[in-house]
Amino acid sequence: MAGESTSFLEIRNLKKSFGKGETRQEVLRGMDFSVAKGEFCVLLGPSGSGKSTLLNIIGGIDTPDEGYISINGDKLEEMDEKAITLYRRKHLGYVFQMYNLIPNLNVKENIEVGAYLSDNPLDVDEILDILGLADHRYKYPNQLSGGQQQRVSIGRAVVKNPDILMCDEPTGALDYKTSKEILALIENCNRKYGNTVVMVTHNEAIRRMADHVIRLRDGMVRQNERNIEKIPAAELEW
Amino acid sequence: MHNPLMKRVPRELLKEWPKYLVVIVFMTFMIGVVSGMYVGHDSMVAAIDSSKAAGNQEDGNFELEKKLTDTQIKEIETGDMADVRDFLLDKGYEEADKKVEEAAASELKKTVKQNIEDAVRAQCQALGVTDETAIQDAVEKAIGENYDAALTEAKKSDEYKKALDDAYEKAHKEVEDKVDEEWDDISEEYDLEDADFVSRPVTLHEHFFHNEEEDYNSDGRKDTTLRLYRSDSEVDKASFNEGRAPESEDEIAIDRMHAANVGVSLGDEITVGGRKFKVVGLLAYVNYMTLHEKNTDLMFDAFGFDVGMVTPEAFEKLPSALHYSYVFQYDKKPADDIEAADFSGDFMKALITRSAVYENDLKDYVPEYLNQAVNFAPSDIEGDTSATGILVYILIAVIAFIFAIMVSNTVEKESAVIGTLRASGYTRSELTRHYMSMPIIVTIIGAVLGNLVGYTLFKDIVVDLYYNSYSLPKYETVWSPSAMVKTTVIPLVLMFFINLFVIRSKLRLSPLKFLRHDLKKTRRQRAVRLPKWSFLARFRLRVVLQNIPDYLVLIFGVILIEVMLCFAFGFPDSLDHYAETAPKMLFTENQYILTDMKDDDGEIITTETPGAERFSSTTLVQQKQTDFSMRGTGGGLSEDITVYGYETNSRYIDMREEMPDGQVYISSAYAKKYGFGKGDRLSLSEKYEKKSYDFTVAGIYGYDGAVAAFMPQDNFNRIFDKDKGDFSGYFSDEKIEDIDNKYVATVITRQDITKVTDQLDHSMGGFMKVFQYVLFILAIVLIYLLTKIIIEKNESSISMAKILGFKNRELSAIYMLPTAVTVIIFTGVSFLIGYAIMAGLFKIFMLSMDGWFRFYISPRGAILSMLFMVAGYLVVSLADFRRIRKIPMDEALKNIE
Repeated sequence: MAGESTSFLEIRNLKKSFGKGETRQEVLRGMDFSVAKGEFCVLLGPSGSGKSTLLNIIGGIDTPDEGYISINGDKLEEMDEKAITLYRRKHLGYVFQMYNLIPNLNVKENIEVGAYLSDNPLDVDEILDILGLADHRYKYPNQLSGGQQQRVSIGRAVVKNPDILMCDEPTGALDYKTSKEILALIENCNRKYGNTVVMVTHNEAIRRMADHVIRLRDGMVRQNERNIEKIPAAELEW
Repeated sequence: MHNPLMKRVPRELLKEWPKYLVVIVFMTFMIGVVSGMYVGHDSMVAAIDSSKAAGNQEDGNFELEKKLTDTQIKEIETGDMADVRDFLLDKGYEEADKKVEEAAASELKKTVKQNIEDAVRAQCQALGVTDETAIQDAVEKAIGENYDAALTEAKKSDEYKKALDDAYEKAHKEVEDKVDEEWDDISEEYDLEDADFVSRPVTLHEHFFHNEEEDYNSDGRKDTTLRLYRSDSEVDKASFNEGRAPESEDEIAIDRMHAANVGVSLGDEITVGGRKFKVVGLLAYVNYMTLHEKNTDLMFDAFGFDVGMVTPEAFEKLPSALHYSYVFQYDKKPADDIEAADFSGDFMKALITRSAVYENDLKDYVPEYLNQAVNFAPSDIEGDTSATGILVYILIAVIAFIFAIMVSNTVEKESAVIGTLRASGYTRSELTRHYMSMPIIVTIIGAVLGNLVGYTLFKDIVVDLYYNSYSLPKYETVWSPSAMVKTTVIPLVLMFFINLFVIRSKLRLSPLKFLRHDLKKTRRQRAVRLPKWSFLARFRLRVVLQNIPDYLVLIFGVILIEVMLCFAFGFPDSLDHYAETAPKMLFTENQYILTDMKDDDGEIITTETPGAERFSSTTLVQQKQTDFSMRGTGGGLSEDITVYGYETNSRYIDMREEMPDGQVYISSAYAKKYGFGKGDRLSLSEKYEKKSYDFTVAGIYGYDGAVAAFMPQDNFNRIFDKDKGDFSGYFSDEKIEDIDNKYVATVITRQDITKVTDQLDHSMGGFMKVFQYVLFILAIVLIYLLTKIIIEKNESSISMAKILGFKNRELSAIYMLPTAVTVIIFTGVSFLIGYAIMAGLFKIFMLSMDGWFRFYISPRGAILSMLFMVAGYLVVSLADFRRIRKIPMDEALKNIE
């Protein structure tokens, strides 16, 4: 088990189920783990293992039946809806498998949508450079490839300079090469800006680039380990 | 930093420009119309107010049978009640004294003569004279010699004096008893012992007029009744729209509206009362903004009635009877209509007592606040303005709902984006504001443009519309802050709250639900099971079920528009129908009502005109139910009912039935308007008295031309305390030529029956045509917006179906047929609803007015009203077909995420 002394994000006895009676399905059955500040943490597991539900609960867009989450000492369960929205606004960045960009805003403006929410946003032009989108800044989402759109969605999340960057299968809809590029970008941001990254994936290979790997199965933590031989995203193979 | 989401708004506007253009044009038009109405209204009200001051307008007028003396005028001006009891007593005493005096004198003469005769006879008997002739001679002689002295002596006697005093006392007592009884009746009738009575001092002005025959095209036939005043009148003055006041005896100025209607211009020659006059002025009298001949007229009549002025010299020479009309102005003005009613009530009581004391009949009394000719136009403008206002607000509410639906669809389409934004920390309020901005911006654009066209183009159209109906003074446009509020703030508020409600409830869901495209508020229900129809039929039904809110708004819109179409087609039809049927039911071509049944020489006025028949008539009042009375529509709380007394075996009123006192036949118009039937009780009262009469309805007489009651003339004379054989005038199918005009108070002809509808047709007919086309366009706009929403919502399904191999025609049938069926079914249903609503509204409207005609829509009108709606749909369906055809196949693939 990994050391918990520097924990930034703490998950304790988290339980969640859906449905009632016969159709009731326990998705999370008592999860415990912590993530340290600035860590690149991968939640790994097959589909149905509860990883996305877990991510949604961490992100404050879903609630647990039992247990709690605390971020930097603040317990989410003690917050009302407004406070949770404020928490998301100030501390979280989200990247989804689908990019969910706003179709009638251009690349730069889509990133500004993220910047608007932050009290200390990063420089939008710098982000565009880092993401390799400088030349595409005035293009609309439907003029971009899937990989480019995902870059924009990363830009939108990162520009807030969030404490935690939540990534839900960010490469799920991308090809091998593009996936690696995207992972490298996330890695780069993690390193450069020191955000804690929590990434959900079913891709075994990705665990190798993480600081901290948590394996889930049937709603339980099966393995919680530090990655000693971390390799750069560019060197990943699958 | 500005919210970057706001940058979407102008782009969305540009991308979807046809849709927003339609909405903006529609809003601009609607708001423009209301703005124009309000500005036109406020400008005209300002002009009317200033003309009232400049024209030295009356506070009321009354007409008497005879001219008042200067003393009488001064007495009326005090506003005090005359002591009717005192007057009756004086009159009674005077008559009684005269009678007592005469009786006493003749009694005394008899007694004195008898006394002398008795003395002579006693003397003769003493002297032994027995010859009766000699005795008679002696008596005659003695009377001749002693009568005067004896009479004087007798008069001095205490006995005589006492007897005389007793007689006086007795007679006076009788008079007092009689007067007390009479006074009780009168004071009760007129409420003369009202403790709240306050004297209302006034200034009186003579404002005499003649009702002359006007022949404006000099063809020798009477076209119009022209009411002429003197050009030097100091009250109720006219303003001149063109020309000037007459200066010589052969000059005349007449009403501008009437002149325009009948095609008379400055410089034309018209025949009035048999003399030719040159028209030198076209005017608008301050107290004749609408040409109401009588205050009780259902509608003004700018064709058949006219007002004007001639010089005092020409006035003196006019042939018809002079009407002794007086105008009064309160020394202290009432503050409002409520106070005006109090003032008028008090003044009328005082006036009634004066007319009784002066033995001068009060023929008409109209306080300014009830004067139709003064109040009809402003209140009609007011009514039109608020009605249009309400209509526009309803339409804007409909547009607001359409917007809300459009935004809801956008929210559904952008569900994942909204989920992401909410997950990233965008608050619900920020997103609500964002989605609200489009409807609000569009409304602001519509309101600004609407006010611009309202203040410029529409104001003139509206003002012209009123100038075509009313005799209004010249006006200047005034800036109206209240119009600005009503045309900008109210639409914005409507748009704001309706959208706020819909969008907020739409955005209430959790971010997760948005991310999952799970926008049903409740758990997904099991799909509705459909009957075993053909696949296409079930497919179509699914489309309807899936778009229920859109169809509901569509149905509401169809109902709203079809109801209005029903009005737009039914109103002119109703007028035509009345104009066509009412004159056919006329029981006589002419009703001549005489000023008096006797001429100046006391001879009964007769005519040799074949078929002329005497009749009696009077006007009583039917109280209306107050909840049906709408202020400002021209009617009051009561309606004048003409009660006819017809001769036995009348050739005009076909009534063979015996009718006991207390029973009447009522006209079919009367029965329909008030819902009376055989056996119902009527309570009619005198207009200016508290006296009322109860009648039982013996039957309905088929006559739609007037609200009237009928009874045999003998019953009439008995009930109304008239002598047997009294009458009011002549019915005659032929024109009566052998009665001097000065004895004819009024002639009621065919034109009088249809003048209501003629006038309504003239002032509203054109407007109705325009209204029909506006509604057609409205139908197109509404159906266009809603079908566009439905098709857009299903774009990817349509695209997918195309990929699967469905043809454009099949897809059109699936997505368009439900709309077509909905529109057609609900057009039919709405027509029935519209007809019922209009018939009901018409009844309420007519109850608030005097007179009667019912709502009628011809089969042609009915079909057209529905065709306009369906045609509107057909136009849109062509656009829809094109839209479906143009949806590309890759739409389904492109938008898969």
